[in-house]
Amino acid sequence: MKIFRKFAVLTLLIFAVTAAGFSQVPPAKAPLNLVRGVVGPVSSSNSWSGYSTLNQIPGGGLIPVTSSTAAFYLGFTAGTTTDISNMVLYTTARNSLKITAVTPVTYGGVSNPSINLGSTTVCKVQPLSAASPCIVRLDPVTVTLSALSDYYLVVYFKANDSNNSAVGATVPNNYMSSLTGWYIAADETQLTVGQSIPSGLSQSPYFLMFVRSN
Amino acid sequence: MKNFCRIAMLALVVSLMATSVLAQDEAPAAALTNLTDGVGSISVGSSSWSDFTALTLIPGSGLFGVKATANNLYIGFVGGSTADVGNMVLYKTAPSSSTVLSAKKVTLGGVANPTINLTSTSVCPNQPVSLANPCIIKLDPIKGALSTLNDYYFAVYFVNDSNNGSISAARTSYGQGSLSGWYVGGDQTKIKAKKTLPSGSNGGAPYFFLYVENQ
Repeated sequence: MKIFRKFAVLTLLIFAVTAAGFSQVPPAKAPLNLVRGVVGPVSSSNSWSGYSTLNQIPGGGLIPVTSSTAAFYLGFTAGTTTDISNMVLYTTARNSLKITAVTPVTYGGVSNPSINLGSTTVCKVQPLSAASPCIVRLDPVTVTLSALSDYYLVVYFKANDSNNSAVGATVPNNYMSSLTGWYIAADETQLTVGQSIPSGLSQSPYFLMFVRSN
Repeated sequence: MKNFCRIAMLALVVSLMATSVLAQDEAPAAALTNLTDGVGSISVGSSSWSDFTALTLIPGSGLFGVKATANNLYIGFVGGSTADVGNMVLYKTAPSSSTVLSAKKVTLGGVANPTINLTSTSVCPNQPVSLANPCIIKLDPIKGALSTLNDYYFAVYFVNDSNNGSISAARTSYGQGSLSGWYVGGDQTKIKAKKTLPSGSNGGAPYFFLYVENQ
């Protein structure tokens, strides 16, 4: 009976240790793709001073992953600093250009960051090139992307800015992504609900490479 | 102390009961799941692979986020009797970068240079191997999850011999799925870290490579 008691106590201890182990904080989740992003090699599109890049994230292309956040990844192929004036995420109904919501997008907590592309903490591989693009993750946005909506990430690069003139955007060589985009020589980040996204949608996203859960 | 022992004994009984219940039925095998968007219909063949390497891009941007402890790569043949593989590797790069970060050996039957008997019904159940009867071969599982933060390139080199002159790669004529590929002359499976992959990736359909699945 004593041995049995000892065995029982041991079992209880194992139970306790196991329970404690399971109650540990789980490891950080790897980011999940919310849509099929840019695939394979990219080219460079340079000189962005005074331009807005508009990138469509179609609801029709969403991978059924549940996430309450979306993180946008921008790719740079050239430049040492980029001066962004503003970034927003527009929501529309699917296949509509009429804006139903405007969500601020930030990097380092601000919508108008200067990103130091020459820093190895931001861009590990220097200098930037199309063969080794620098991919910058913007702050995750609290939004649950819906298959019933389309989304447009718009980034406006400060005008009359020599830094932005030297900036290069990633442009995919292959049209295998769900992402598309275009650009306009004006600030298109100030649109409000009820207004329409300007036309110009073409095949390639500029800068935007991935949309992930974090 | 008595109470403690009683609780401990109760825990033991519960534990035994739970073990007994769990042992009743084996957990159902996890369903076969795609880890990325694979090739659609096999619609064309591509012949004569002696001294060529087929490279396939598996982009991190196309991964579905399915949890898998192993990755199973599938390759397909639509012609030939024997394939003499010289070597197989899986390269890892940063996204949209052609610089190799690391390379992992890929095997079939435990070896990276298998001779595949395409006329054997135990290897290719539907004979003769053709477009109508493609032979799809599962390579040995590769441990470790594929990351959305990297791109991967599968490379298979076919040695310079007459057998490989008559094999034909399974391929789709459409750019379906997330996978793409190209081919290059010579052995491209020995590229070291920090070196560059051969150019040619153009979004075309992969050669041989069909699926990445969890089993």
